[in-house]
Amino acid sequence: MFKKALLALPVAMAVGATAQAGEWQDPNDVLQQFLQENPDSAYLHQSEMNIMMMPDNPALWLVDEGEDLFYAQRGPNNVSLEGCDFGKGPGELDGAYVELPRYFEDTGKVMDFEMRLVHCMKELQGFTSDDAAVARRHGSGSDIMKLTTFIAHQSSGMAWNPPLDHPQEQAMRDAGEKLFYRRGGAMDFNCASCHGDVGKQIRASVLPHVGAGPEWSKAVSWPAHRAGHDNVRSQNHRIRGCVWQMRHAGIKADTPVNTALISYWNDQARGEPAILPDLKR
Amino acid sequence: MFKKNAVAAGMAAFASVALTAGCAVADGSKGSDVDITAMSADELAEHLIFETDSFRDQEMQEGGDWRDRMTQDDLQKACSLKGDPDGETAGQVVAMARASYEAPESIELGDWRKGAELADSGYGYRQGHRTDDHSQREAGGNCYNCHVFDPRVSDQGTVGPSLQNYGANRGTSEAVLRYVHEVISNPHQYFPCTQMPRFNSDRHQLLSDEQISHIMAYLLDPESPVNNQ
Repeated sequence: MFKKALLALPVAMAVGATAQAGEWQDPNDVLQQFLQENPDSAYLHQSEMNIMMMPDNPALWLVDEGEDLFYAQRGPNNVSLEGCDFGKGPGELDGAYVELPRYFEDTGKVMDFEMRLVHCMKELQGFTSDDAAVARRHGSGSDIMKLTTFIAHQSSGMAWNPPLDHPQEQAMRDAGEKLFYRRGGAMDFNCASCHGDVGKQIRASVLPHVGAGPEWSKAVSWPAHRAGHDNVRSQNHRIRGCVWQMRHAGIKADTPVNTALISYWNDQARGEPAILPDLKR
Repeated sequence: MFKKNAVAAGMAAFASVALTAGCAVADGSKGSDVDITAMSADELAEHLIFETDSFRDQEMQEGGDWRDRMTQDDLQKACSLKGDPDGETAGQVVAMARASYEAPESIELGDWRKGAELADSGYGYRQGHRTDDHSQREAGGNCYNCHVFDPRVSDQGTVGPSLQNYGANRGTSEAVLRYVHEVISNPHQYFPCTQMPRFNSDRHQLLSDEQISHIMAYLLDPESPVNNQ
């Protein structure tokens, strides 16, 4: 532990001290607190079935599988991911997920969670883009989603707190805000077309509002088991689906447009506890 | 590092974007040579879309490639706002929309049954991991996503106003027909910066004239279930 703390120190100094993120909480406890404190939120209360299923969230299976993967010696280099720094120091996962995206000195740029995970799997473990471990981004059976769910779970109940101290972090967050409101594509939609108002529905689905703290915290709380897909999904999967529905061009994984949007998403949920993993319709 | 500093020093952001196009990497493992902190938020947003290999290089169903689709026209630029447009912007958007609208010589209602199918269909114009093939299935209007037409049929959205009994309340005069055609073609003529797509504008035609006539029939025909609730 002492050694890890030493390694983490330069990073902490580089990005400046961040606010205390709070204690770990069970994801269902966070959800119950949101429901009790926001009895009128149609978004939060839309699925009784999902609320009932939350203690038995199928995504919790991936936490255990992801833990095994994280500590296993894998890849051509036969090392674990304990050397991966998600911003709190190598192998330090408590609170790391809710403090992303952030600027990383070693790459000289702002990275979101998935980008950083893939970076570590390549640089530390030696996987290449063609290896299934990295190439498969979606589905409960993918290594990426298992690892994502395990790592994110270590931040459950802690407040979203993506750092903005580095000028690149602020720049990406501000560009993400522009992207969120940028009308475009074949049907002129922006993100706010669906997420700019409280209690609106697309067909049967009640939409979360970007300005409504607890609603938005739940909305960006991925990974989540998506009942309609019967799979655990990521923030990047949600972006891909939204961009597809919006009739913009097809977005690629691991790209800076994702990072900027997630920077804005997580910033808009700032201060609210995260539900990790969540369960969604 | 030399390049990074050289670019950062004193070059306008858009010039640096042009110079370094293609240098940004998509694999998430290396930094790019562009100083993103030298750009305004708007410039960086455009840079991220067009210069960082974030989108698949695909041909679009309406013609053109991904860059054409992602390039904003004047109306999209004007409406990239938080909240409602101010009076001046609203006026400009209405003027833009009106200037680009071409009224047909005559407007007739089509088949409300076909209109109901089109209003319900969310197929069309999606691109990426799955791309809609218009040669296999015609594109729909996506109307149910946002508007209630007939809640007896299915769950329908509430982003836009309910259209239950739309024709029953308004009739089918020439003025009503013209108005509804204008709104479906380019709703910004009446609702500047509305979230509703332009289905037939100077940017592109997403629904054919015939498809629009069917959707209008679904809305206005006295026989349509929309008008019998």
